[in-house]
Amino acid sequence: MPHLTVENLRVGYIPGIDILQGLSLEVKPGKITGIIGPNGAGKSTLLKAVFGFLVPHEGTMLFNGTPIQGQSPAEIKKQGISYIPQGANNFPFLPVKENLLLGCWTFRKDKARIEQVIEETYELFPALAKKHRQRAGMLSGGEAKMLSIAKELVTSPTLAMVDEPSAGLSPIITDYVYEFLAKKRDEGLTILIVDQNIQKAVEYSEYLYMFEMGMVKMEGDQHVFSDHIREIIRDSLVGEDE
Amino acid sequence: MDLIILTQYVLSGLVIGVIYALMAVSITFVHGMMKVVNWSMGEYYMMGGYIQYLLITMLIGPSLWFLGIPIAFAIIFVLGVVIQRYMLHPMFVGESERMDEYATIVTITLMILFRNLAIIFGGPYQYSVPDYFPPTDLGPLPISGNRFMALIGTALILGILYYVMKKTWPGRALLGMSQNRIGIQTAGINVRRLDEIAFGIGVGLAAAAGALLAPVFLVWAESGSVPTMKGFEIVVIGGLGSIPGSIIAALLLGLIESLGSVFISSEYRDLFGFVFLILILIFRPNGLFGDRERLA
Repeated sequence: MPHLTVENLRVGYIPGIDILQGLSLEVKPGKITGIIGPNGAGKSTLLKAVFGFLVPHEGTMLFNGTPIQGQSPAEIKKQGISYIPQGANNFPFLPVKENLLLGCWTFRKDKARIEQVIEETYELFPALAKKHRQRAGMLSGGEAKMLSIAKELVTSPTLAMVDEPSAGLSPIITDYVYEFLAKKRDEGLTILIVDQNIQKAVEYSEYLYMFEMGMVKMEGDQHVFSDHIREIIRDSLVGEDE
Repeated sequence: MDLIILTQYVLSGLVIGVIYALMAVSITFVHGMMKVVNWSMGEYYMMGGYIQYLLITMLIGPSLWFLGIPIAFAIIFVLGVVIQRYMLHPMFVGESERMDEYATIVTITLMILFRNLAIIFGGPYQYSVPDYFPPTDLGPLPISGNRFMALIGTALILGILYYVMKKTWPGRALLGMSQNRIGIQTAGINVRRLDEIAFGIGVGLAAAAGALLAPVFLVWAESGSVPTMKGFEIVVIGGLGSIPGSIIAALLLGLIESLGSVFISSEYRDLFGFVFLILILIFRPNGLFGDRERLA
């Protein structure tokens, strides 16, 4: 059974204007699924809809077979979905440790578990351990991104949705982030990635979707995309019909 | 001038400043958390005063006056939650483009409503609450017992607020919300509930200030307007959204008013604050702590 199933989803920001126009896709467990496509295709909109920031007015979303459409982000988080938005999603005036503690909100009464996951996070990201008393706003771009990712993964979700993991980061940090996500996948985490960086998304995803104008234009296994990557990148840069 | 007299004026200015601080903190709290200005803030202060008056004259008596402050806080907290849930929350859904305007219309409407309700139920009278404490000495400064209690009460309430914000989970979440609303939601926190708590605490603080200051200033339908004006003055001086900024600005305003009335003229007491405000707006438009610090 797929981990996440989206069927015939219609959703947008303003009543009467749908960004996603009857979109369907599946996210298989234990794999990285990638979504690519031009600006405005609805990639980020899909993630926002799954996490409950946007309420679809048509279609269904099933997580482990249970419908989740219409639920609030807090309810969706509790079921094991984490959403890592684009850029740094931290609390800039709070220390690194407080940022991580806020990530532990859903199990805030379990002190032992909090201590354990924070310890694990510090082992994974020694840079954060070193700066745990500093304000998150003082971190470098790469460290801030690590904190944003770590903060959403402390809940041990089963599905992580990552929006533009490479945006605004140097190639070295981008590689680091992708390697980290691949490692998490190997440990059993299901990942749904949206990225403008087509090369990286294709390199790391087992299955891919290409969106255009709120619809799935193309889908397939990694090799289907990697075999045509030059054409795909060219089309996404210049557009096909122009 | 005699050093003792100068010390007295400085002290009395600081006392006034502390008294102003609570109202300013309540205004900046709501703004920092929800990014909207609540124009009806003074009316929660006014209602806090009425609640205290009713409690003292009818229920708990003048000797238990201090019980009225948490009670006023609790009643107005609940009212704030209801207002947030049914009147202000709609502006956060449906991607409303005119959030500020919406909040302005709703809160000004509430201001007019509450003032007129106070006149309908309380009449056009000014009520005075019995003294909380006999006159006493604060170092070299002879001080009215009511002001003395207001000083202690404000310090206590701000201390509790500091503890809640720094050491408890809801406080941590509120601080986070003031800095990143999306981040709060991706952490799985119910932002709707948190908004209600934030608005409830903000207006509850105003009510606590109203109850605490009931014997210092009188209780009447428009008793909230002067504290609101001073409150906004302080908040802009200190920097919108900065709680430490508000407290420091409140002390400064108290000092300036007190020293200005001695050295220049007490007739222009309210003018000094505004001159200070204009200077701040010219030289530090974001307020003293506006760009460096938000809520900490």
